[in-house]
Amino acid sequence: MLLHAVDITKRYGREDVLRAAGLHLQSGEMLSILGRSGSGKTTLLKILAGLEAPDSGQVFLEGRDISGLPPNLRGIVYLYQEPLLFPHLNVFENIAFGLRLRHLPRQDVNARVTQLLDNLELPGHAGKMPHQLSGGQRQRVAFGRALAVQPKVLLLDEPFGALDAETRASMQVLLQQITRQYGITGIFVTHGIKEAIVVGSRIALMRDGGLKAYETIQAFIDDPTTGVRDEMDFWKGLS
Amino acid sequence: MAIKPSLPLALFLALAVLPLLLGLGYALAYSLGIIGYGAEGLTLAHWRAVLGSAYFWRTLAFSFYIALVTISLAVGVAMALAVAWPRAFRRGSLSLFIYFPLAIPAIVMAFFIFQLLSGGGLVSRLSWQAGLISGLEQFPGLVNDRWGIGIILAHFLMAAPFFTILFARLYASERAEALVLLARTLGAGPRQAAFRVVVPVLLRRVFPTIVLYGLFVMGAYEAPLLLGRQTSQMVSVLAVQKLQRFNLGDIPQAYVICLAYAAIVLTLAAWLLGRERARG
Amino acid sequence: MAGRFLKYAFIALLLFPFAFLLMLSFGRGWGYPHVFPEQWTLENWRFILESQAGLGHSVLLSLLVSLGVAVPVTLASFWVSRAVSYSPYRRRWLVLAYLPYVLAPVVLAACLQAFFFRGGLSGKVWGVMAAQLFITFPYGVIFFSGFWNRRMQAMEQLVATLGGSRAQAYIRVLIPVAREALMTCFFQIFLISWFEYGLTTLIGVGKVQTLTLKVFQYVNEANIFLAALAGCLLVLPPVVLLWLNRRYVFSGAGGR
Repeated sequence: MLLHAVDITKRYGREDVLRAAGLHLQSGEMLSILGRSGSGKTTLLKILAGLEAPDSGQVFLEGRDISGLPPNLRGIVYLYQEPLLFPHLNVFENIAFGLRLRHLPRQDVNARVTQLLDNLELPGHAGKMPHQLSGGQRQRVAFGRALAVQPKVLLLDEPFGALDAETRASMQVLLQQITRQYGITGIFVTHGIKEAIVVGSRIALMRDGGLKAYETIQAFIDDPTTGVRDEMDFWKGLS
Repeated sequence: MAIKPSLPLALFLALAVLPLLLGLGYALAYSLGIIGYGAEGLTLAHWRAVLGSAYFWRTLAFSFYIALVTISLAVGVAMALAVAWPRAFRRGSLSLFIYFPLAIPAIVMAFFIFQLLSGGGLVSRLSWQAGLISGLEQFPGLVNDRWGIGIILAHFLMAAPFFTILFARLYASERAEALVLLARTLGAGPRQAAFRVVVPVLLRRVFPTIVLYGLFVMGAYEAPLLLGRQTSQMVSVLAVQKLQRFNLGDIPQAYVICLAYAAIVLTLAAWLLGRERARG
Repeated sequence: MAGRFLKYAFIALLLFPFAFLLMLSFGRGWGYPHVFPEQWTLENWRFILESQAGLGHSVLLSLLVSLGVAVPVTLASFWVSRAVSYSPYRRRWLVLAYLPYVLAPVVLAACLQAFFFRGGLSGKVWGVMAAQLFITFPYGVIFFSGFWNRRMQAMEQLVATLGGSRAQAYIRVLIPVAREALMTCFFQIFLISWFEYGLTTLIGVGKVQTLTLKVFQYVNEANIFLAALAGCLLVLPPVVLLWLNRRYVFSGAGGR
C-alpha cells in the first residue's frame, strides 16, 4: 500500500470536521473523493500534504509514518482549485520550478520540461507569462509543475472548479490520460458525480466527517444514498 | 503550515505597542504628579487646572473645527471633481498632475500659503497692482487669523487631491459607470444618478479614510505652527508649547493635554476599526 | 473647448506652488508691492554647496535619516506583517498597529521625550531614527497586511509541497512577487521620514537639522529665499518618485 491514513480527527472550534477518517491508496490508483462543500475534503488533503496538523491520527507513506514530517519532505504535491502560477515566472520556469529547487542539471530540466509541455498540449507557450494564458492553459501548466517533480502522491482539490463546462470536459480527459501515462497515484476531490467517475479509478464519499470508500465504481452507483441512481433516472426519463 | 508566532509578534509588540504604552504611561504618571521635576505625590491638581480652563476646551473645539471644515471642503470638492471628470484622473496629463500636491510636505505647504496670503504675500501684491488696495495693511488677514483660514487652506490643498485620486480609483473599482447606466434605465436623471447612486456608494467606501484623515488634521502641528495664532491654537501646538516653556510647572499640564487628545483620537480610531470589523 | 481650457487651468493651479517656490529660490529682494523678486540670482542655490551652515549638510543628513529608517522598517515590517496577517487574531493586531499611526507624531514624541533623554538618544541622529521607526513601522505592518492574503499563503504552501524550504519560498517566490510592494512601501516610508518635522524637532532637540527643520529655521529668520530653496529640495525627491511611479507617493493604503 502506498498511502495509508488512519483515524484522522480535526476540530475547528466546536465543529468536528474530520472524525476518525481513514483511507488507503494503492500505487497507480486515482481515488475520487466526492462530498458537499464544507464536508472536510480540503482539510483531509491538507493534512495528508502536511499543510495542516491533525488533532489525532497518523499518515503512512510507503509504510513509513510521515505524520511529523514537514510538507517539503513528504513528496506529496497539493494542487488548489486556482492554478496559482508564479506570476514572475514564464510557463517554462513555472514547470521547471520544483526541479530548480532540487538543483537538477540544466539538460535534465530542459528535457523533462519540454516533454511535459508536449504531453500537456502546451508547445509554443513556453515563453509566455501566466497572465497571457487562458484558464485551461493555466491549469495545465499547474499540472506540469506538479508532475515535473514526480510526486509520490498528487492531491487535486477541485482543480476544474473555476473552468467553463467545455474546457472542464476536455481537461478531465487530459488528466485521465496523463495520470495513466505517468502512473500517477493521486486523490481527486470534487463535488461533481460525473467528474468523479471519469477521472477516478475508485470512488469514496465524504460524509459526516468520515470517508466511505467503494471497492468498485459499480458498488458506488448501486448505493442508493449517493444520489447517482436518481440522477440516472432523471436523464433516462428525458429520453 | 505551522506559523511560529513568537519572534515576529514579539518584535511587533516591542516596536509598535510598547512605545505607545510607555509614552502614555509616562505622561499619565507625570500628569498625576507621581514623577517629574518637583513632583509632590499623587494629585489631580494638574488635571483640574487643564480640564477647568476654558482655553483648553476652546483649543480642542478649534482643532475639531479645523478638521471638520477642512475635510468637508476637501471631500466635497474631490467628489465634485471625480464625478464631473470621471476619466480625466485615470488617463492623460491630469492623472499625473493631480498627484503633485502630495509631494509637498506640510511645512512647505504652510510656508507657501504664508507667502501667498499674508499681508505682504503674493495675492496682496497682485491686489495692489490691480488697484484694489493701496497698502498691505488693507489686505484682509487670511493667515494667523481668528478663523484659521490659512491652516484650513494649507490642509485643504493636501487633502483635496488625495481624496480626488481615491474617488477616481473607487469610481473605477466600484463599477460606478455601470451603476449609473443601471440607474438611468430605472428612470433616474443624470443628477439623480450622481447624488443617489455614485456619491453614496463612494462615500460609504471612503468613510473610514475620511475619519482617519480628520484625525490627522486634528493633530496637525506644522501648519498651525506657522499659520495659527496664540489666541486660537490647535491642540498639538498648545501641548508642545507648554512642554517647552521655561516654567517647569507647565509640564504636567502639557501631559494632561497630550493624554486628553490621545484619549479622544484613540477612542475614535478604535471605534472606527471595531465598526469596520463588525461589517467584515 | 471650455472643458479643455478648464483642464489646463486646473493643471496650472496644481503646478503653481512649485513654480512659486522655484521663483523665490532664485530671488533676492522682494519689496512690497513687487510681484516678482527685484533681482534674480544663483547665489541661493550656490549656498547648498557651502560647507558651514550650508544646506548641503542638511540634504545629506535628511537622506541618511530617511534611508536609515526606510530600509530596516520595510524589511522588518514585511516579515512581521506576515505573522500578524496569518495570525488567528489578525484584526486585533492590526487595530493595535493603527493606534500609534493615528496619534500625531509630535504628541507621541512629547510623551517619549524623557525616555530618549535618559537613554542618551535625544539630540542624536540615532535617536531621531529610532523615534521615526516607531511611527513608520506600524504603517509598514498595515501596508503589507494587504499583501499577505490567502493567495500568498496558498502559494507559500504550494512551494512547500513542491519540495521547497522556507528560505527557498522567500527567495524564489515571496520576495520576487512582492518586489513592487516592497519598493512602494520603501518609498512611502522614506517620504514619511523625509517630511517629518514635529517629532524630529522634539527628539532631536533642534540639533538634528534635517531639511524640514531648515525650512522652519529660515522662516523664523525671515529669509524667505532660502526657505523656498530648502522647500524646493524637500519637494524634489517625491516629484522624481512621482515621475517614476505615482504609486510610490500614494498607494491608497493606510490613508496618509
